[in-house]
Amino acid sequence: MDERLLIEAAQKDASRFADLYEANFNRVYAFVSRRVGNRQEAQDLTSEVFHKALANLKRFEWRGAPFAAWLYRMAANAVADHYQEKAREGEFPTEEISDDAMADAERRASLGQCVDRLPKDQRRVIVMRFVEQRSIREIAEDLGKSEGAIKQLQWRAMQNLRAQMHA
Amino acid sequence: MPERDLIDQFDQAIDALLSGRPETARFDPELATALVIAADLRDLPDPNFKARLKGELMPTTTEAPVATRHSVVPYFVVQGAADLIDFLKATFDATELVRFPRPDGTLMHAAVSIGDSIIEMGDSSPQYKSLAFGIHIYVADCDAAHKRALAAGAISLHEPMDQEYGERSSAVKDRFGNHWYIATWLEGGPVRPGFRTITPYFHPVGADRLLNFIEDAFGATEFEEVHRSPDGKIAHATLQVGDSLIELGEAHGQWQSMKMQLHLYVDDCDAVYARAVRAGATTVEPPADRPYGERNAWVNDPFGNHWFIATPKA
Repeated sequence: MDERLLIEAAQKDASRFADLYEANFNRVYAFVSRRVGNRQEAQDLTSEVFHKALANLKRFEWRGAPFAAWLYRMAANAVADHYQEKAREGEFPTEEISDDAMADAERRASLGQCVDRLPKDQRRVIVMRFVEQRSIREIAEDLGKSEGAIKQLQWRAMQNLRAQMHA
Repeated sequence: MPERDLIDQFDQAIDALLSGRPETARFDPELATALVIAADLRDLPDPNFKARLKGELMPTTTEAPVATRHSVVPYFVVQGAADLIDFLKATFDATELVRFPRPDGTLMHAAVSIGDSIIEMGDSSPQYKSLAFGIHIYVADCDAAHKRALAAGAISLHEPMDQEYGERSSAVKDRFGNHWYIATWLEGGPVRPGFRTITPYFHPVGADRLLNFIEDAFGATEFEEVHRSPDGKIAHATLQVGDSLIELGEAHGQWQSMKMQLHLYVDDCDAVYARAVRAGATTVEPPADRPYGERNAWVNDPFGNHWFIATPKA
């Protein structure tokens, strides 16, 4: 669906924000997580960005720039505020988002989408291994499979991701 | 390098990556691109966080229903339970919830969710013989699900058609002999109001007796008026049991009696068990505390259907 229509729909009915959220969640998270120290901070800032975006959605004016650019700007502000608060002194100007920074976030966001497209058993192993940081043995016990089978799923998932990312 | 060695080496590299250890080992160059991706995966968002935040942002939106355990949960016993799971995933987009394999690879117990409902299953064994089920299932698109069922190996019992009672439905038989009555409610569907995604459907010989048994044993009430055919037999009845429905109709044509097994969740297992026995059930296992967190009893009704009367332990 055309992004402009999605935005207009969400401006009229906040419950339609779900589509914009789905389309942009990975972007915001990828941008923020690269710039903060840990998962909790990345989640806090991502949450802040989307709450602000929803609250300010009616003020968003369509001028042809993608909605993601507006979110990246908000994310950069959130990151600067975060470091400002941590440091308590000194100036932390908001990052000028370079093309490289944007491309990096887009690439890592697309990796998230590729993971979403993996077969369920492979996706589950990847999430348990990388998000929950569990060992092969723990995953094997949890899923009732051998450690060899889990390693195999991890490897297949990686081959799948490699193929998707280079498609 | 043999694939198995690559797989092991790759896992060692991931271990090093995740624990923040410097990579001292030399890895096969074939792993280089995979390791770049693996490094990025450390920043993969947590799907639970994504779902939680969406819920916070849109607390009033109605998303796909969350499956919960209802009063009546079908418990399939088949030879090849893992294949049944694959069939349910391919046809009804089932989500696997748990899977407990036996050492020989067969499944002792597994559960999947479909829509708002849960289906349990296990492989047959000398103690638990294979059974065949009739299940009325609501889907978003009856025609598409029917096609998927056939592609997944089922055979068509009847093609999708608009029924006079307000739904478009078809029927298929899977390779285990289970019948699936695939339906889409036409008036603001896909699920008929008052129904769950999944409802067990009995076709006994002597439907009146089964209806009386379910009412007497489990305190079921009639959800709607019983429809009878000209010969006075039950053409279709819907019973409310707890928060769930059970449908039944007299056996006829290709819709013949099948023995089903249902997990029935109640507040007081012992009291309902006693009531079921008074209503004519035979005891297979009297009430007992089970290691998997519930107190349950196994009884068979006069038609040979299995009922696990269960109360979760607090």
